[in-house]
Amino acid sequence: MAEQELVTIEINGIELQVPKGEMIIESAKRVGVDIPFFCYHPRLGKGQAANCRMCLVEAGTKQPDGSVRMMPKPQTSCSLPASQGLVVYTDTVAIQKARRGILEFLLINHPLDCPVCDRGGECPLQNNTLFYGPGVTRYVEDKRHLPKAFPISDYVVLDRERCIHCARCTRFSQEISGDAQLEFLKRGADMMVSTFQDTEFTSCFSGNTIELCPVGALTSRRYRFRARPWDMKSQKSVCTRCSNGCNIWLDYRPKRLVRVLGRENEAVNEEWTCDRGKFGHEYINSDRRLLSPLVRQGEKFVTASWAEAYQVIASRIQQAVRAHGADSVGAIGGAHLSNEEAYLLQKLMRVAIGTNNLDHRLERNQLAGGDTLLTRFGVPFTQTAIADIERAKTVFIIGSELVDEQPIVFLRARKAWYRFGAKVIIAYPEVTETELRFDEPVVLRYREGTEPVLVAGLLHLVLSSAEAGSRADAVWNSVSVYTPERVAEETGVSLDALREAASLLGEGTVFLCGGRVRNHAEYPTLVRTLCRLVEVTGNAGRANGGLNILLPEVNSHGAADMGVLPDMLPGYAPVGDVGARQHLERLWNVSLPAQPGLSSQAMLERAAQGQMQVLYIVAEDIAQKYHDPALAQRALENAGFVVVQDLFLTETAQYADVVLPAASVAEKEGTFTNTERRVQRFWEALDSPSPDVKPDLNIFAELAVYLGKPIPVFSAEQVMEEIGKAFPAYADCHYDQMPPEGIRWQALTRVAESREKATQLT
Amino acid sequence: MAELRVLFKDIDIPGIDTLDVCEQNGGYSALKKALGMTRQQVIDEVKASGLRGRGGAGFPAWIKWNGIPKDESQPHYVLCNADEGEPGTFKDRELMMRHPHQLIEGMVIAGYATLAKVGYIYIRGEYTEPARVLRRAIDEAYRAGYLGKNILGSGVDFDLYLHMGAGSYECGEESAMMSSLMGERGQPRLKFPHAPLPTIAGLWDCPTLINNVETLSCVPSIIRNGGAWYASMGTEKSTGTKIFSVSGHVNKPGNYEVEMGTPLMELLELAGGVKGKLKAVIPGGSSVPILPAEKCDVNLDYESLQAAGTMLGSGGFMVLNDTVCIVRFMRRTAAFYAHESCGKCTPCREGTRWMLKIFDRILAGGGRQEDIDLLLEICDQIDGRSYCGLGDAAAWPIRASIKHYRHEYEYFIEHGYSVVESKEAVTV
Ligand SMILES: Cc1cc2nc3c(=O)[nH]c(=O)nc-3n(C[C@H](O)[C@H](O)[C@H](O)COP(=O)(O)O)c2cc1C
Ligand code: SF4
Ligand code: SF4
Ligand code: SF4
Ligand code: FES
Repeated sequence: MAEQELVTIEINGIELQVPKGEMIIESAKRVGVDIPFFCYHPRLGKGQAANCRMCLVEAGTKQPDGSVRMMPKPQTSCSLPASQGLVVYTDTVAIQKARRGILEFLLINHPLDCPVCDRGGECPLQNNTLFYGPGVTRYVEDKRHLPKAFPISDYVVLDRERCIHCARCTRFSQEISGDAQLEFLKRGADMMVSTFQDTEFTSCFSGNTIELCPVGALTSRRYRFRARPWDMKSQKSVCTRCSNGCNIWLDYRPKRLVRVLGRENEAVNEEWTCDRGKFGHEYINSDRRLLSPLVRQGEKFVTASWAEAYQVIASRIQQAVRAHGADSVGAIGGAHLSNEEAYLLQKLMRVAIGTNNLDHRLERNQLAGGDTLLTRFGVPFTQTAIADIERAKTVFIIGSELVDEQPIVFLRARKAWYRFGAKVIIAYPEVTETELRFDEPVVLRYREGTEPVLVAGLLHLVLSSAEAGSRADAVWNSVSVYTPERVAEETGVSLDALREAASLLGEGTVFLCGGRVRNHAEYPTLVRTLCRLVEVTGNAGRANGGLNILLPEVNSHGAADMGVLPDMLPGYAPVGDVGARQHLERLWNVSLPAQPGLSSQAMLERAAQGQMQVLYIVAEDIAQKYHDPALAQRALENAGFVVVQDLFLTETAQYADVVLPAASVAEKEGTFTNTERRVQRFWEALDSPSPDVKPDLNIFAELAVYLGKPIPVFSAEQVMEEIGKAFPAYADCHYDQMPPEGIRWQALTRVAESREKATQLT
Repeated sequence: MAELRVLFKDIDIPGIDTLDVCEQNGGYSALKKALGMTRQQVIDEVKASGLRGRGGAGFPAWIKWNGIPKDESQPHYVLCNADEGEPGTFKDRELMMRHPHQLIEGMVIAGYATLAKVGYIYIRGEYTEPARVLRRAIDEAYRAGYLGKNILGSGVDFDLYLHMGAGSYECGEESAMMSSLMGERGQPRLKFPHAPLPTIAGLWDCPTLINNVETLSCVPSIIRNGGAWYASMGTEKSTGTKIFSVSGHVNKPGNYEVEMGTPLMELLELAGGVKGKLKAVIPGGSSVPILPAEKCDVNLDYESLQAAGTMLGSGGFMVLNDTVCIVRFMRRTAAFYAHESCGKCTPCREGTRWMLKIFDRILAGGGRQEDIDLLLEICDQIDGRSYCGLGDAAAWPIRASIKHYRHEYEYFIEHGYSVVESKEAVTV
């Protein structure tokens, strides 16, 4: 990165050097000077709003003769960029007076319903008034009256009387989320925040505006009146609602999660969350949680002790293994488990039972760590760090409704465009919500299913504009038939759009591929062409470029890393690879099955034909969520014995013979690996709703005991230490040494290298 | 004692608003001349003229012109401020209605000098008639090749668009005008040193020259007759002529173009003299401090008016006789600013409405003596702390009125009616 130019400024007589252009409100922090503010927010805006006028300072510039020429008016420090010789005073009598004046103005029409306001206790208006405000008001007129507690969505309540017009919410909706659903109506003192004609505030990022609002004008319908900030505790956690791994705070009272707030992590979510994340963890509090193991008796479930449940399961598994072999047992699930749990699940299956029948994949395409990506690029799914997306010159979104599939990746992509001027290409068969959030992106509206042709056509165009000698024949030959005319004809995309898109595919292009790529019928071909396109455009080794097959679930990546796959051991070592197997055999002190097991699809097909003796379904409602739910239901019906381990009596659990109650993410600790390979810790906040609810980690370990093959487990931390030995990419993930932003595991230079390294370690 | 007409020189010629008549009277000859000069020569001529912005602030025009980057790496724009929202001001209206080609010619010259290929006239929404005249004139100019591509075969392009505002005073403020023109809420944008000057990053972040209608209308005569000629009129620092929109208690209200530095009392005479006894003058639109009669012995130029504690402003020259109740008058002024505050910043949004409520209470008989100082303090809390000039402009007139007419406030508060009203008139 280019060296930043420094300038010398003076704040309250203290001389300091700061980056040129830094806002003075930030520079002041460097010398411990606090400047009060409301509208300022470092993440909002290309420039600042500077509308509340709370952050006024006196400013001047040093003249060559050493004197200071003061500017005639006070300046807003939130928008005043540092320049050489700038002199600033933040606490003069005039400024103290100015602050009192601003607060008086803000308060004259403020309803002061602090005692019943959710913001009370954590309210910048309260705090600033206390420190800088007038003691009494001189206002004797009527206050402004507007509708109070006005629900604008299922999540958000708007109280227009409390609004101080700081425009944080409106700026967020225009600049960050890009849905522009909040705007001001009217002007002057009549100005008010509103959605368009009071329609519902449907932004999938609406929760952020609640946190941004410096007063109680935007509050959460889910949190309203449920707690006061001082009677809650907070615990650090990671959102489990998609694979982005946003950092969150769980705010809780004894036995109850009361709200979720965004937690800063520059590398992942900055400070944002989507609404699924903010409001989607209430299930933890549900009174429909499973509270003890259930065992089927005829048509009904009866509660059982853990010992009883384990005994039933263990004897059925042992029976099956004896009568039909270990491969008559299989496990499905893992994408919602922590890394430690996923690792233990595969160990349970491979070591304690002796089968490779395990799989975490529920989608139609059951990608095995994307072989092509792994061998070419040394990463299973994604090359680009989320934070690097904003530095892209071109963002190419393919087959993804990104706003919905990967909300936080979407925000980075949008930032790349809005803040840094990246070009955007969006390829999707229909109009997407995503494309409406960019001004005039290049849209490739291809016919459903023609993704491989489209990508081949783009590769063709890129290659044909490259110098003839510079292109590899093999690559050219693979796409030479995909002339623009043919591609236009087959995909329905216009020639102009194809050419324009191809012309934007230079160095610094980030490819973001969603569900339609992941689940394409010709995925191997498609991904191979994508890999070539990435290589040809010079993005294979770039931080601000690369191919990304974005993943669906919170720990899809981790489960694959941990080897919750029928054909891959931890660290993507093929089951059939003797060296890799031996390494783990030594580590685990067992001999491992050498034949790949059954994928989810194969297990379910077998089970549907009555050929699976035991199905162990962990933390997945396959009866609903499997890509072919009917198959899953038939399988569950016809399997010999079904164990379901979950938080709820899901539809899948209805088919179970034994149901095991698992702890939620808030009730245990561990790590998840997000879609960009970042390993992040989460911590225990709440007690389980009942002593009989256990973390999955404990369940796997205890079940192994009942199976007569104990896997000693003392803590998640200890499991992580072992993971580091099994898959050296995780070797640095020591609990006590994890940096706050987590650890993004390095691309493997060669896949084989990982195995070699692993062998050396043991 | 007479008008000195430069801008208005030809406005009485029948049909001067049509291209034919205008051309017969020298219309567009300045453009032809300018196209034969270098761009810098044009700017230098404007510099020599000493022309200052007529929109209110009186900023030297050539500095803006010269501040526009001299390369064409980005598009450049010329934006003509025809919002004329300042109460008491109606000079731009007459300039556009009666001599539209003068403005168009001025804009093309400005475009040529600043490398702009596109110009906008942002005209206030209420000016439907001037807009119609302008639109017709623009069409004529296009047909005659004074606008469009390759103007008069010179290779210079200039397209001109007319944009109608939607009725907001604030959109006359140049940065709010740019927001509005770009389709955003009509609210101001950050200014230097918080953001680059519009000459560097204005419309769509490109270099933009913003001038008032009157400023741009001066350009053709300056080019035709030379900057030195223009500078020979007026005072040393306030050169040329200025149109004042005289309204209120005079016998012949209307627009009068006089030489800068003309004594204020002469302008009053030009306008047919005061009806009744002169009480005060507001010389530059409602935003400038009121000038009591006893201080009206002053010349009309930027410096003299400033020395007298007021400003030349937009030239909206309002004359008040002794029947005017200052408290009521200021209530109306306060109502204007409260109504026009865009709402963006705290001091102006809250302060203007608060002051209006205080005025209303005083007028309703509920005033308290401490309200006078409260008003002054509210003015202090707005002035200099608001986001744009509207806040300041809301404070200045009220503060000045209390300074000069405090006794009227005290009287009104004490009695519940004005010092200029008889008790009977109020109680009836
Ligand atoms: C609240 C406010 C309203 C304004 N309204 C106008 C206006 O209606 N017409 C105008 O020419 N200038 C107006 N101005 C001044 C402009 O911001 C700007 O200074 C002017 O257009 C520059 O042109 P000039 O240099 O030719 O005067 C206004 C300024 C403020 C603060
Ligand atoms: S609702 Fe809140 S965030 Fe939005 S403008 Fe009002 S005070 Fe600011
Ligand atoms: S983007 Fe994903 S991880 Fe982030 S808050 Fe939303 S659901 Fe949770
Ligand atoms: S002073 Fe503030 S509220 Fe008033 S018009 Fe300017 S920006 Fe808007
Ligand atoms: S924080 Fe600077 S003006 Fe609001």
